Amino acid sequence: MKWLVAERRRSLSAALIVVAVVITSLLAPNPRDRVALGVAIVVAIVGVATLTIRGFRETHPVFARATLTVVALDVALFATYFFSSITNFNLAIGAAMSIVLLGLSFLTGASGQISLGNSAFMGVGALAVAIWANHHASTPMVVTLLIAVACGAFVGLLLGLPATRLRGPYLAGMTLAFAVAFTAIVNSFTSWTGGDAGLQLPTAVTPPQWLSSFFNAQTSLLRVNTMWLADITIVVTGVAFFFMANLFASRTGRAMRLVRDNEVAAELVGVSLPRARVIAFMVSSAYAALGGALWTLINNSVSPPTFSLALSITILSLVVIGGIGTISGALIGGVIYAYSTNVISWFTQHTGINSQGNLASQLPGIVFGGLLILTMLFAPMGIAGAVRRVWARRRVRMTP
Amino acid sequence: MTRGELDMRKTYARRLATTSAALLLSTGLVMAGGSVVTAGAATHTPGVTASQITIGATVPLTGIAANGYNEVAKAADAVFMYVNSKGGVNHRKIKYILKDDCYGTPGFGCTGTPSTVTQTHALLSLPVFATVGSLGTPTQDSVRSLLKSNGVPQLFVNSGSRDWNNPTAYSGLFGWQTSYNEESKIFAKYINATYASANVCFLGQGDDFGSDGLAGLVAGGVTPSDTQLYSVAALVTTQGASLAPYIARFQTDKCTVVVLDTIPGATDAALGAALQLGYAPHWVISSVGSDPVTVFGPLAAKGLTADPEVGAVSFSFLPTPGSSSAWIPWMRKVLTADKSQFPGFSSTSTLDGNMEYGIGWGVAFVEALKASGKNFTRASFLKTLTSTTFSQTPSLTPLRYTTTDHQGLNGGYLVTVTSATSAKPVDGKIYTTDSTSTGPVVSAKKLSSGIPSWLK
Amino acid sequence: MDAFLTSRIISDILGGLTNGVIYGLVALSLVLVWRSTGILNFAQGAMPMIATYLGMVVFAHRLGYWPLVAISIVAGFGVGGVTERVLVRHLYGKPEINPIVVMVGFLIVLEGVAAAIWSTTPRGIPNPFSPIDWQLGGKPIALSPFSVYEIVTALVVMSGVAVLFRFTKLGLQLRASALAPEVSRLLGVRVSRMLTLGWILSTGVGTICTVLVASNFFTGLTPQVMDGIFAFGFIAAAVGGLDSPVGAIVAGVSMGIVLQFVGDFVNSNAIIITALIILIVSLMVRPNGLFTKSTARRV
Repeated sequence: MKWLVAERRRSLSAALIVVAVVITSLLAPNPRDRVALGVAIVVAIVGVATLTIRGFRETHPVFARATLTVVALDVALFATYFFSSITNFNLAIGAAMSIVLLGLSFLTGASGQISLGNSAFMGVGALAVAIWANHHASTPMVVTLLIAVACGAFVGLLLGLPATRLRGPYLAGMTLAFAVAFTAIVNSFTSWTGGDAGLQLPTAVTPPQWLSSFFNAQTSLLRVNTMWLADITIVVTGVAFFFMANLFASRTGRAMRLVRDNEVAAELVGVSLPRARVIAFMVSSAYAALGGALWTLINNSVSPPTFSLALSITILSLVVIGGIGTISGALIGGVIYAYSTNVISWFTQHTGINSQGNLASQLPGIVFGGLLILTMLFAPMGIAGAVRRVWARRRVRMTP
Repeated sequence: MTRGELDMRKTYARRLATTSAALLLSTGLVMAGGSVVTAGAATHTPGVTASQITIGATVPLTGIAANGYNEVAKAADAVFMYVNSKGGVNHRKIKYILKDDCYGTPGFGCTGTPSTVTQTHALLSLPVFATVGSLGTPTQDSVRSLLKSNGVPQLFVNSGSRDWNNPTAYSGLFGWQTSYNEESKIFAKYINATYASANVCFLGQGDDFGSDGLAGLVAGGVTPSDTQLYSVAALVTTQGASLAPYIARFQTDKCTVVVLDTIPGATDAALGAALQLGYAPHWVISSVGSDPVTVFGPLAAKGLTADPEVGAVSFSFLPTPGSSSAWIPWMRKVLTADKSQFPGFSSTSTLDGNMEYGIGWGVAFVEALKASGKNFTRASFLKTLTSTTFSQTPSLTPLRYTTTDHQGLNGGYLVTVTSATSAKPVDGKIYTTDSTSTGPVVSAKKLSSGIPSWLK
Repeated sequence: MDAFLTSRIISDILGGLTNGVIYGLVALSLVLVWRSTGILNFAQGAMPMIATYLGMVVFAHRLGYWPLVAISIVAGFGVGGVTERVLVRHLYGKPEINPIVVMVGFLIVLEGVAAAIWSTTPRGIPNPFSPIDWQLGGKPIALSPFSVYEIVTALVVMSGVAVLFRFTKLGLQLRASALAPEVSRLLGVRVSRMLTLGWILSTGVGTICTVLVASNFFTGLTPQVMDGIFAFGFIAAAVGGLDSPVGAIVAGVSMGIVLQFVGDFVNSNAIIITALIILIVSLMVRPNGLFTKSTARRV
């Protein structure tokens, strides 16, 4: 391996690790904490050091992505230990939403199709988890999540097949109709779905014993429980993003981008148009279902009316504002989703707008809609795209 | 320096920068967090200090269900503020935090966060001693296990569902109002007595509200010939039009009595549809959706001058605003004193059912708090709650919980809507029953007694 | 056939027709925009809604129903024209997703602004037509003075548009500008003006439709008044084909009647599910709509 060869790199990393471990043992209150802290820091340093090896990203792309994911998860999981329960809760909700955004971002960016039905696919995943858990309470969580993903992919297949030949507006129309019909479908099977009232999970998701032992006896249950929820969601998000990053770069991803840009060329090269489109649709709906499934775990319940056309429009808006077809865009969108109500209420409080009046209630919508229009007109690549452009310009300037 | 050396220096610099950043970040987190980890929650009862008790609720202050319902918790808060102005309960003032969950439904002017789970998490992080008077059946169902797993009592849920009466699974969960099931049994007795052998149709909400109500009707001896359940989401998206086919069916079925277990918005839609069809059955409407002011308001805004609800029969477990109960002037006094939430409320303002409802359980909470003594824990408070009979509250029947029954009130009287702003008792007789499906409906004298001296 | 069933069927046909002409009008305005400028207008319900508020609510105390309607229609022309000039201009020639996203954003902004100014409480619009159904032999049939007003107005508008397009020079210019802009320009047609005119007309038609819906006593005017109807109108336009005004009207009216029967004989949940199925089936058979002449794909 290359990093063994560079003497200075090795000794610098080793020195940093020693220093980190020493500081950790001085600061951490008890042995268990020290070990956890030490592991977290070592992973971070090793990971970053690996990533900064010149050319590593090009020669070992999958490994590089995995390392990046591990480092990001490392920092995030570490942070959840210190966050308050409400922050962890919002973080979890936002992370799950970013998975949904990533799916739609892929569909729109990589394969050029538009879908207004992603809230319904979220609903499919959310209901799948709730219905399954109510009938088979002992299934491990991972399996339940996979079942939800499979359901989402299946419904995506059902809708994706007729959609292969549709142009933009007609596809938008079909997915819109699906989003609107979702509530009606749910209400046609109330004995399974609970109708408008929805379903609760039979048992709440609780942390395993070894995690609870990290906290002293007086720390509230709420803190521990929400930290665990945030951790699960963050790990699943990391895995989902890792898969998507690889998909983007793979042959399938390239084929889809070709279909988006030049159908004729794609066909000439031998890409099957319908197949590429359906796969893209299924991936996007599977991701949406995963996000919805996580919401059910976090909320411990599912409320079908949440998955409305309005939510679909919100999802589309966040994808556009974050940046179509980019991974960082999905993350940005998730953060915006988690904190937009807080930002807006902060704004109304500090500008003297009546917080229960008409303007305050419509402000999120007006701001969102306005952002959507402005983004699409002036910065169609979203925040992530804009940042990338600035970064690229700086790089160009840096070379002599 | 060659280009290659320049690049290598940049790489080292960059790596140094990133690893130092990682190290600093983690160290910073440790320093910041160290104190957090060691400082656990205090060993005293959460939400309670020597001078204050903090309680909270998730209620629809704005949004789809706000019309009328947003007054309920505010009226209870008026009671708390009144009691605080007299020194509090056992020298402890009550701080009541309201979180707007828009009934869990986004849109329609919602300025809160339309997720009951999120808002409940926000309350729990404050922390609160208990949630008191949160509103809604599906909304409160969705947070039962969250509150249970965190040991937080869920008191006086504003809903008549039987879901709150499950002491074995949820020992800290309590309802307050007379349940839909009991109300419907009393309706059935009335229908059998007044409209013997009539064709009865039933329109109910597609959740516990409708199904419990229907079960109560049947248990009380009235089996509707046509039963329809409506979805709130569909009602909302079609702006009421989704109920028109159901009312049309009732008309085709020739039902002369229609029982509505509907929220006010659905009551409006049903009355409107009947008007359009020229259909005028005898309406029997649940207390949930019959308050005259709440029902007629939106209809008046659309241009209706005559109130189609006049003549409808409903149910009340609180004295009507025009009654001679000593509580009515007391309620007015409390609301008038609350200048922030009921500005301009005076002796001539309309006292409506929602305000009475909030004051009803507000008084119950205050009395339970007093009965718990100066030093209490969550456990001891709940024990007091299940071993005391509260007969000096505004409700027509005493409030009594046991270790096996957490439902709450168990009776009331029938009222008829007389105008756009008022309703009167039908015969003044108070009926009580229970939440089993076969309990008898008993007619009783007025059972609640007056205002305790320390509240006057 | 027993009397109940007959009156029920008649009611369903009449009620369905009333709904159907509304869907047809919405579908028609969507087709107008699509054919003249190639944009799918997601805000097709919201733009007329603003015009209706401007006309009906702002002057509500001072004028009677018909003057208010006239003001609303003029406002509708204005909203359509201004939107095209200021916003839509920038969307021509862009990838398909751009206009869809922008118009969705516009929809959200318009509904938000309307609710911020006028609140979401439904308002009644007093009008001279009674909404109470007539009775036939003691049973109500789903026809009232108000529904007759709706049907007649819709038919008049549809015919007016047809006449405009087929038999007037302006209509010819509109069609030419959409089909062959370069040639039209060479022949002296002011293409850019025609594009604006397309939006003006479409919003005008949409405003008449919204006024009809809002004047319905049992609906009232809210910022979301056209949301549900837009969905059905859009489905009708897609089924009929975005290129075909005739298709839009036929699909709208037929869907209205079919769905009324479904709602009556099955249940109200089945209505939107049936619409979804109709859409999927028709798009599988003809991906560009039932009434579109299929064009070969250019390679």
